[in-house]
Amino acid sequence: MNHYVSDFEKDDDCAIPTSSTLTRSKRSITSEDEIMELLWQNGQVVVQSQTQMSLKKSQHHKYDNTVLPIEQSTPREIRSSHEQQQHLLMQEDEMAPWLHYPLNDTNFDQDFCADLLYPSTACVTSTTTNTSAAPIRSTHNPEARLHPAVSAATATATATNTATASRPPIPPTRRAEVVQNFAYFSRHRARGGVSESGPSNLKTVLKESTVVDSSDTPAMVSESRISEAAFARSTAGVSSGDNACGIMSGAAVAGTSSRGGGSNNKDLITCEMTVTSSPGGSSASAEPPSQKLATDDRKRKGREDETEYHSEDVEFESTDAKRQLRGSTSMKRSRAAEVHNLSERRRRDRINEKMRALQELIPRCNKSDKASMLDEAIEYLKSLQLQIQMMSMGCSMVPMMFPGIQQYMLPLGMGMGMGMGTEMGMNRPMMPFPNVLAGAPMPTPAAAAHLGPRFPNPTFHMPTIPTPAPDPSRIQATNQSDPMLSAISTQNPNLQHRVLNFSDPYQQYLGLQQTQTPVSQNQAKTRPITSKPGTSQAAENLDNHQSGT
Amino acid sequence: MSSRRPRQSAAPPRITDDQIIELVSKLRQLLPEIRHRRSDKVSASKVLQETCNYVRSLHREVDDLSERLSQLLATIDADSPEAAIIRSLIM
Repeated sequence: MNHYVSDFEKDDDCAIPTSSTLTRSKRSITSEDEIMELLWQNGQVVVQSQTQMSLKKSQHHKYDNTVLPIEQSTPREIRSSHEQQQHLLMQEDEMAPWLHYPLNDTNFDQDFCADLLYPSTACVTSTTTNTSAAPIRSTHNPEARLHPAVSAATATATATNTATASRPPIPPTRRAEVVQNFAYFSRHRARGGVSESGPSNLKTVLKESTVVDSSDTPAMVSESRISEAAFARSTAGVSSGDNACGIMSGAAVAGTSSRGGGSNNKDLITCEMTVTSSPGGSSASAEPPSQKLATDDRKRKGREDETEYHSEDVEFESTDAKRQLRGSTSMKRSRAAEVHNLSERRRRDRINEKMRALQELIPRCNKSDKASMLDEAIEYLKSLQLQIQMMSMGCSMVPMMFPGIQQYMLPLGMGMGMGMGTEMGMNRPMMPFPNVLAGAPMPTPAAAAHLGPRFPNPTFHMPTIPTPAPDPSRIQATNQSDPMLSAISTQNPNLQHRVLNFSDPYQQYLGLQQTQTPVSQNQAKTRPITSKPGTSQAAENLDNHQSGT
Repeated sequence: MSSRRPRQSAAPPRITDDQIIELVSKLRQLLPEIRHRRSDKVSASKVLQETCNYVRSLHREVDDLSERLSQLLATIDADSPEAAIIRSLIM
């Protein structure tokens, strides 16, 4: 804030002078119609030709004097306001008048401020309503409309001008426009440092801005200040959903955007800030919220505005229309970038969220970095699959246990048990079972079949050990370990080697020592890959295990 | 995962995005559903989601199997080898 304030002050003077030029340009840009329209929009909805310009000048002084005459004849006021606007714009150094302009300017102020200050009412009401000075709020719309033209003019005049300009030309809903205008406005301000000079105006503006915040009626605030403050407020107001505020906020946003990063905008923003900050008191309350809102808006739009602002600077001078067009281009770009950033951020958030969820599922996962966590997840998933296979097989195998299976199963089971998570010597207690199996019936094909499809074996890429064909001789030789295997394999070849390999992943996963069963270890060794050799080895291992046990 | 900007909260610099991508692809291979589809366009987010779902389903299956094994255990002699096996399976 302070920073901005200082900038604001510095830029104030330079900004102001530009406003006047803007006014002129705006006027030129805006044809008679525009001018008239502006006037009308300003608040009085009075379409005045340039004749009013002259009036404006005169009124300009008046404006100076009358801080907030607002409720003056609408057409006249509009005219005067418009003129004043332009006048102010032209008179960059005449910050005071410009500052006062919004205040003094009846129509203008009313419409202008009203819109700004009371964006809700003003914006909604639309231009027609704005015409009447009384409903300052209503003026907001007209102001909005006038905004483009006015903004051009006001831009030179500095924030305040912009405020007025923004009011009329900018349609309440045209935040972007407002922003643009504001951007211009800020630019001008920076250049001319227009209105800032009037601390009183600031105060008034601030007050009004405060009002804006509170009541959404931006119009009240002195244009110069108001515009700034209003913009800030309007952002707040806009937040509240008021179109008028939107305009103001647009300006504020523009201003704030600069705050966000645009140098030019900074000026504007600083102006805003100064405006808000200078009064300090009244608007203080209003300012913070508005500023915050403005900040948010600014951040959102500021970037856009900033780019727009910079690029628009030149254009703005030329034509309001062109300015807006060009601004939109740059704004689009920045907006696109912003959108991209946002989407990227969201994507990352989603991924992180899912990573956390996965971490929750994995037991004993204390890794904090993604890679190791993913590693653990992969291992755990494999072990889980193995476990399920084992269990499924066990479920179906139990009824059809046969002599040899135990030798085979136990080591696996033990390995699995270890892997399952006890990770303690569960296998030890299991050890004693090895030779118990006796006379278990051959696994029924049904059971095997049941076992097979029972659980998914989708990812077992482990090389399928070629199902050893039921090989009685082999069975005999291998100490009856094969029958089970063969039985299993006949039914479900995959199971076989899976079973063989089952304990392995578990052990690996848990990092446990190989089960004391040498079989397990052997299995682990054999796991890789070969089928037959693995099987035979497994059988042999079982044999060894048996003997070992 | 994009690494357009240095992310303070991201993994340490030695963990590259390629690593993550590789891990994600490995994970994807384990998943039953995504494997069958084109794997080149699956996002990490989806993979992670599928992994979480799959892990949960596996957990359920494990519980279910444990339940069955327990029931089986009850039906056979506690001293039989099958019981031992089952116990080992259940842990």
